Amino acid sequence: MSELAEIIKEKLRDGADAFLCLRDCEGTVIPALISAGDEIELDGVQVGSLRYPLEKILARLQERYPDKRFAVLARGCDERAMIELAKLEQLDLDRVVMVGVACSAGEAEACGCDRPYPGEIVLGERAEPAPSRGIIDEVESLTPSERLEWWKEQFSRCIKCYGCRNICPMCFCKECALEDPKLVEPGVIPPESPSFHVIRALDMAGRCIDCGLCEEACPAEIPLRSLYRKMREIMEESLGYRAGESVEEKNPLSFLGSEEDIEKLEQED
Amino acid sequence: MVENQAAKTAEDDVKILAFLCNWCSYAGADLAGVSRFQYPPNVLDVRVMCTGTISPYFVIKAFQEGIDGVLIAGCHIGDCHYLKGNYMTAKRFGVLREALKFMGLEEGRLRLEWVSAAEGEKYAEVIRSFTEEVKALGPSPLRKRRGVSREAVGS
Repeated sequence: MSELAEIIKEKLRDGADAFLCLRDCEGTVIPALISAGDEIELDGVQVGSLRYPLEKILARLQERYPDKRFAVLARGCDERAMIELAKLEQLDLDRVVMVGVACSAGEAEACGCDRPYPGEIVLGERAEPAPSRGIIDEVESLTPSERLEWWKEQFSRCIKCYGCRNICPMCFCKECALEDPKLVEPGVIPPESPSFHVIRALDMAGRCIDCGLCEEACPAEIPLRSLYRKMREIMEESLGYRAGESVEEKNPLSFLGSEEDIEKLEQED
Repeated sequence: MVENQAAKTAEDDVKILAFLCNWCSYAGADLAGVSRFQYPPNVLDVRVMCTGTISPYFVIKAFQEGIDGVLIAGCHIGDCHYLKGNYMTAKRFGVLREALKFMGLEEGRLRLEWVSAAEGEKYAEVIRSFTEEVKALGPSPLRKRRGVSREAVGS
């Protein structure tokens, strides 16, 4: 029996009602909810090399079963997402048991991740962070008009599949600005450049936890991750906030704040 | 000669959208008017109850529709009618400006100013300098081929 199967059994014994993980189903890795913990259910469970926003499923599960405790596999990005979702009141961390998975050095490198491990590691070895800025430097070396053209070319491939939003662990709104006919004209492909993507980028400010699933999901290979990563940088530079780092620190865009904060902001300008 | 004229018109015909807060900047603009301070006619005003109600979407939409410059003007910090509404504006603005800059829109096309109800002259001065700045940058690269559409600016 695999190490993960043992852990699942242990967690189910220790008070978790179900375990959310990934399972190999005839060659396809899909999310699975394990509640009985018998041989049949545990067949094929794995950490897997594929990532999936399990926390997004977890938020739905918590909503549906408010009195249950769930255990979940959590990579570094999953943990950041869960912290941020908890701050946005989408997830109750008290009812979550995280089983930390550290990404391998290869995975961290491929992802350009600046924190490829969760706070508490149960499975795997801690790999060194391999932060990358993607295409940010390339874009910043261009003049404004070249930048606009560059992005226009990238966005012109968009088929408006909403894959970036649907896969995003931080997207949960019932009414999405990207589906508002006043902001985004329905039935037009590609969507207006750059407003469609700027709207999403702005909503990602202070939220994006840099998991990179958007870019993996995008069929048009738009460098979305770099775009949202830049928003993360902007948030850090202008408001000193990094999404998903601490449970206590509030997103500065979620409350008005004190006069001192604003004065400091104005002096920096 | 004709070409020159056409070029000149396009450059002079920049459209600026100004979001003015009801309590300070709109009254400031009003004061500029009744005091007969001269300022360029390129501005279209949008009166909002508080600058804190201005969603960044509005600004993006304005630029997408072909507006050449967006001004956000509200009460000075500490003077907000709703106490802290403009704190949110101050925080959002920096993020929005940097995001648009990364997209390739010139920084000068977006401006935030605090103008009180007593600062009619400051309002006129802000509009003068902002119009100059936007004119120097020229028409927005996002402007649709035949200039700003009538519907978009509602005139």
